[in-house]
Formats: sequence, structure tokens, C-alpha cells
Amino acid sequence: MKIQKHETEKQLIKMLGLVILGVSVLTLTGCGKKSDESHDAAIAAGKMLAEKGRGSIPACVACHGANGEGLDAAGYPRLAGLNTAYIDKQLQDLARELPPPGVLIEKVSKDYSKTPRIYSDLTVFSPSVRHDAVMSPIAKQLSTTDIHNLAAYYGSLSFQAKPVAADYEVLERGQDLALRGKPEYGLPACVSCHAPDGEGFGAGFPPLAGQPAAYIVSQINKWQTGDRDNDNLSLMRAVADQLTDADKLNVAAYYANRSLTVKGK
Amino acid sequence: MSLSRTHKYLLAAGAVFGIAFGTWVIADTDTDADGIDDLPTLDSIQPRVSSQQPKLTLPNELTVVPVVKPGEYFVPPRLADLPDSKYAQEVRYGRNLFVNTQQYAKRYVGNGLNCSSCHLQEGRKPHAAPLWAAYPMYPMYTEKSRQVITFQERMQSCFRFSLNGMAPTLDSREIQALTVYAQWLSTGIPMGTIMAGRGFARIDKSDDPSPFHGADLYKNYCASCHGADLMGKKFTDRDGYMFPPLAGPDSYNKGAGMQKVKTCASFVKANMPLGKPYTLNDDESLEVCVHIFLQDRPWDPRKGIFMSLFMPVTEG
Amino acid sequence: MKRLIYIVFLLFGQATASYADTELPITVVRPTTYDAYANIPVGLTHEKAIRQVPAINPGEYFVPPAVGDIPTSKYGDMVKLGRNIFIDTQHYAKRYVGNGLNCSNCHLQEGRKPYASPMWAAYPMYPMFRNKSRDVQTFEGRVQDCFRFSMNGIAPTLDSPEIKALTAYAHWLSLGAPINKELPGRGFARLAKPRDPTPVNGEKLYKEECATCHGLDGKGQKFTNRDGYMFPPLWGGDSFNHGAGMSSVKDCAQFSKANMPLGKGWTLTDMEAWDICTYIWLQDRPWDPRFGWFFNIFAPPTGGN
Repeated sequence: MKIQKHETEKQLIKMLGLVILGVSVLTLTGCGKKSDESHDAAIAAGKMLAEKGRGSIPACVACHGANGEGLDAAGYPRLAGLNTAYIDKQLQDLARELPPPGVLIEKVSKDYSKTPRIYSDLTVFSPSVRHDAVMSPIAKQLSTTDIHNLAAYYGSLSFQAKPVAADYEVLERGQDLALRGKPEYGLPACVSCHAPDGEGFGAGFPPLAGQPAAYIVSQINKWQTGDRDNDNLSLMRAVADQLTDADKLNVAAYYANRSLTVKGK
Repeated sequence: MSLSRTHKYLLAAGAVFGIAFGTWVIADTDTDADGIDDLPTLDSIQPRVSSQQPKLTLPNELTVVPVVKPGEYFVPPRLADLPDSKYAQEVRYGRNLFVNTQQYAKRYVGNGLNCSSCHLQEGRKPHAAPLWAAYPMYPMYTEKSRQVITFQERMQSCFRFSLNGMAPTLDSREIQALTVYAQWLSTGIPMGTIMAGRGFARIDKSDDPSPFHGADLYKNYCASCHGADLMGKKFTDRDGYMFPPLAGPDSYNKGAGMQKVKTCASFVKANMPLGKPYTLNDDESLEVCVHIFLQDRPWDPRKGIFMSLFMPVTEG
Repeated sequence: MKRLIYIVFLLFGQATASYADTELPITVVRPTTYDAYANIPVGLTHEKAIRQVPAINPGEYFVPPAVGDIPTSKYGDMVKLGRNIFIDTQHYAKRYVGNGLNCSNCHLQEGRKPYASPMWAAYPMYPMFRNKSRDVQTFEGRVQDCFRFSMNGIAPTLDSPEIKALTAYAHWLSLGAPINKELPGRGFARLAKPRDPTPVNGEKLYKEECATCHGLDGKGQKFTNRDGYMFPPLWGGDSFNHGAGMSSVKDCAQFSKANMPLGKGWTLTDMEAWDICTYIWLQDRPWDPRFGWFFNIFAPPTGGN
């Protein structure tokens, strides 16, 4: 009898344990679902906006491709699989009118095609502006929620890069710059911030691989002219200031040539 | 304690052999000493043979010796220019090791040679494997070890083969000091440059060398310093060799680079007889070296007793 | 039974906690992304907004050979192995490394960058007298010290392939560099010290200038898609130990002045570099392997200057 009683107790405890496990698992999944729901709602709203546009806002897919893969020929960037916070910030900066008061912006006019290193001064604080003739007017019409939704949508897309062939020598020079930079001129390597495969790191360091070469070149040009000046510590401006025209083409060709697979979140 | 009969015979045979060997060794050294005593002593008044009978005819064949122009070879820094620092102390110690290996690295050396016996003039002389031409090239792939070796490891194999001893460990003070000395000698040379005067001279063989002719040449050109028996000449007033032995137990072993006839010949052509380099032509130096190659010397430490006894020596 | 009830409570506690963590309202954006530049100072003068850095003329610093020019020989294989060890020590010399760093975390750009202790300036100078060991040290011995202190690990032996490969790589990088001559760009920058550094100012500066990459906690940032660190930790268990050169305030400041923030070298003033490095020096990191636990706990760490 004693043994039987003992066994029934054991069984009871087992059952109870199972019940508790099941309940807790259910609660956890429920919690997960709740946040997923909000995320999914944002993605869905972003998808609507991206595909259809709204009023005077054109559809994003018109330029950035049906799956946000960008357009190589025109240099429209890919958005699929980018960091959500990064897209968010870029749209905010594009919508920004003027730099905040109290910050000087140096107008730079330097010949970037000749000497390997020309700059002798650096702006310490960047005014967080990014100007683009096409994108800025669009970004100004987006609300904060729109921007958040779009960022969530494009961050959720997965992406597979299609490597673009290029001349062997160009690729080799581009690789040299991407992996080693120009140490004798104090120019750091791309990989030291944009991650070893150029896949980008966190909200601050966007991917280079899988972006159209024309986009990378145009962006570096904008860093140099001051049309884009929205990075932390103005790190990228310091780097872009030292790139010659050949460097830009080489490194852009190298990163357009990289293969990359991004899983959306 | 009971020994079997065979054991007793063996012991007796060993004793007999020991006695015989001992006598032979003693006799050998005796003849050496006699050889020194047999040297012709000149009366102080009597003029030297060469000036007494001047050569009236010029030799039929003149030997053309290359002239070294100033600046043709790298000139390493002078020892006197060293400041007084820890680094300089290490350089001086390395130099002492290099020119007097017998004393400063006694426990690692198994024969009678110094580093500077081959690397002439404290490792400075071009075409005598100068240190300043070697150091910038290392780490380097060598055929001998079939891998990339550092300068320190190269020196270890010098100790093992040319000095027929045991290599100091890589972190020993000896290896470190020698490295410092080599680095200091090559001050100012761009790393990895192939310097003029690196290694030995080039040798182009026109005919197979004959050891018989080599023996004759040896008697003419080499025997006055290295001795007719190739055993070198010892100091009479102190330890060590005045002229390094080319054969016998106090010379380099069969694994050394000098044991290669070609390496030996390229060294001989550029440096020997000392002070009269390039007087032996390529074939003559090869013949001399074949004569040296055929002599007895310590075994190759890489090989065991069987290979050393019964296999022909490979580096010919 | 008591235990079961306890477990129930525990599970519920966890469930509620995870619930609070995962929920994010749709409309609110994280403050950092919304306004990353909230700290832009108002009323900047030209001198403060623009910092002068020295321009570098072509040919000012030694240029080591290009990676594409590594010969295809046994020597070239050794050089390639050395380069792999140098830039990915975590993988190629795993058993000798005790933290999360690579050689190229300090010797920037594969050991090529001037003023980031480049290999081409160091290798021709060795063997050299060093105050740390109070002795003349060979290059191989110096590399061993790196493994022991900066990598907080166990040094490979002098005849190990790791040390030989690293030596071959350093030799190849310094092909053409004159032996025993000090080249411009050797070691780190030289600094003035106008006043005693303060860690209080250093903390402020650290948060402004360094925290973006190295994190507010100084523990660096790990990759999300692979092992290892994207940005190296400056203190904590995965960083260099108290015996390392970087643990000395002076070395750290000299390094930071010329190289940090990455790509914007020479923008910190000398005093700012001293301040930041004093703050870094005060943090916890692995013990000095030369000392026992008593000294490590009760004696102040070395390198304070």
C-alpha cells in the first residue's frame, strides 16, 4: 500500500509539473505573439505604403525595386535587409530642412581626382543632414509612423545579392582598399567598420555589399561635397575626404561584386 | 657476480681494443707535436729562401684577380662606434661569441672551429658568407631543412653541423647575442635585399675534378697553413687552433655545408689562400675540395651508425 | 510540493518580465535613432568645430609590399599563414589566445598603419633593449610577450609554427625597410602632457567619442552573424590584461591620439587622449600574469604614469 501511495504521489507531481510547463509555455508564446502582432502590423502598413504609395507620395517599389533590391543602372539603393534603425534615421535626415543652429558647415571645394590625400581639417560634429534631389521632397511628406513602418517593412525583407562582374584589376585594387585601406595616408579599411564581408554592422554602419556601384560612388561624392553629412562623429566624412575618384570606382566595383545573403527579421 | 664465459671474452676484447686505441691516439698526437718541431728553423742572419733566390722569370700564366672598387660592397658599422648601452653590451658579447666560439660557447661546440673560421673577418668579409648579407634574408626557405627557418634556427644548424656540437636553445643567451650581432652588422641594409658579396663566389665546373691533382694543389697552396695532414695548426702557447683543421675529429662534420664540394670550392675560390683570393680557378678549387672531401671527419649527426659507416657520403 | 509552488512563482515572474521586454509601441521610435545628435553643442567657434590634422604627403611613410605580391613559394606560404594569424588570431592561434582580440586590433590595417606600431618599423629594430624585460629581446620574444599580455594567453614556443609564421610575415612586411634605423611612423605618436589627466573628463569624452563603437560598457560589440568581435573590447574579461602595453595610460594615449576614432586620427587633443585613457585604465580587466593574486588585488595596477 505504502509503495502504491508513493507512486500515485509521484504521478501527481509529474502531472502537475506538466501542467505548469504547458501553462508557462502558452504564456510565453502569447507574449511573443503580442509583440509580433505590433511588428507585423507595422510591416503590413509599410508594405502598403511601399507598394501603392499614398496621395502625392510615390510608391517606393517604383525606384527601389519590387523587393527593395534597388536598381543597379540608376544607382537607386537597395533597401531590403537593411538595419531598421538605419533606414529610420536616413529618412529622418532626408526630411530635415536645415542644420540645427550653432553649427558651422564648411563648404569644401577640393580636387578629389588628383592627390591621394588633400584634407587638412575635419568637422568634429556633423549637422545630421542628408540631401537628395529626388528623395528629400518625398521624405518630407512622410510622417514618423510612416517612416517607422517603412523601416520595419524593408528590414523584414530578405535579400540575395547578384554579383556584378568587373575588371580583375579594378576588383583587386578595390579589395586592397576595402581590406587594408591606405595605411600610409591614415585611411582606414572599409571592413574595419562595415564588417568583414561588407554586410554592415548595427544601426551606425550600413552594408556596402549588395549596393549598386553607382549608389556607393554617388554617396561618397555627396560626403565630399557636403550634401550628405549625417554620420556619428563625422567618421565617414573624414574617410570620404581622402578617397580619389579612382578609389571610389574601385571600391564600389568591389562591393558590387561581392555575394551576400541577408535574412530579413 | 658471475659472468658467463662469453661476457668475459667480450670484456677482455674490449680492454685490448681500448689499450690499442689509446696507444694509437697517443701516437697520433705525438706525431702532431713532432710535425711542429720539424718545421725548418731559420737562422736570424740567413736571408729567407725567397729573397735569396729571386724568380728571374715571370710565370707563364698570369692570374687575373678582380679588383674591388670602393663602395662595391657594404661596409658594416665599426665596433668602436657603439655607444655604451645594454644593446651594445649584447653586440660585443655576440662578437666575442663569434670570433672566439671556443671560449664563449664552449659547451655547445664539439670541435676546434670558431664561427669566424668560415665567416672571415668577424663575419664582415664579402663572399665569405658575411652576416650582414645573411640576416636581412631570414626567415628563408632552405633546402636542407625543407622548411622556412628563422635566422636563429639557421645558427642552430651551424652549431649542429659546422661546429659539430649541440645547438643552444632558441631562447639561450648565445643565440640571442649572435642575432643581435648580426642585426647590428646589417644596420642600414634594406630588409630582404640580396647584397653584393652574399654567400660565396660562383663556381662553373668545366671538367670533373680529380682528387689526385687536388692533393698536389693542396700541398702547394694549403698545406703551409692547414698542415700536410689537413689537421690544422694548434697554438703552441695556448689552447685552440691558429689555423683551423680541415679534416679529422676537430673539424666540421659530414652534415656541414663545407662538406659539399661545391660550397667548399666557392668558398675557397673567393677566400683562399688567405689574402690571395681568386688565384685558384674554378676547377682547381673544386679539385682541392674533392681532396678535402675524401678525408675522415665526424659523422653526420642526422644519420645513425649504419648509414654513417656503410653508405657513401652524399654531398659529393 | 513547496518546491513546485516556488517554481510556479518563478515561471510566472519570468513570463511577466519577458512580456514587459518584448512589447514596443508602434509609433514611438527609440530616442537614439530619432535624434542621434541631441548633443550638438550650440555656439561653437570655428576653432572648436574644425580641428586641424596634419596632412600627409605622398612618400612620407614607408609603404610595405602589397598582399598580391606575396611570392608563391614555401616562404610565401609562411607569410600567408602569418598574415592569417595576424588578422584572425582568434581562429588561427586559438589555443594561445585568452581573450577576444586579434593582433590587428592594435596593429591596425594588418600591421601596416604608421603610428599604430606597424610591423615594418618594428621588425628591423629587433633585437632591441626593452625596459619591460630589462634585457635585449629578439622579435620572436617580443611576439611571445604580446601573446602573454595583450592577448592574455599562453605564449607559443619560439620554434612553434605560429611564431615562425608571424616572424616571416613581419619580415615580408618590412622588405626594403633599413635595418636598425628608426622609420617615421614607428610605434605610437609622441604626446605632450600639459596637466595631470582626469578620469572624470575622460568618462565624458569616452561616451562622446568612443562609445559608438566600443560600447558604453567598454566591452566592445560582438558580431550578430558570426563569432568574435566587430569592435574590440577595451576592458572586461575579453580584453588585454593589466600587464599589457595598452594598459599603460601613456601607450594607450599615444595610440588613441594617432588612430582613434578610427579614420579620424589626430583629432583628439593630447590632453583628451590622456583623459580618456586614464578612464580606460581604471576599469576592470584580467590580472597581470607576472604577479600573484595578492599583488593583483592589493597593489595598484602598473602603467598609471
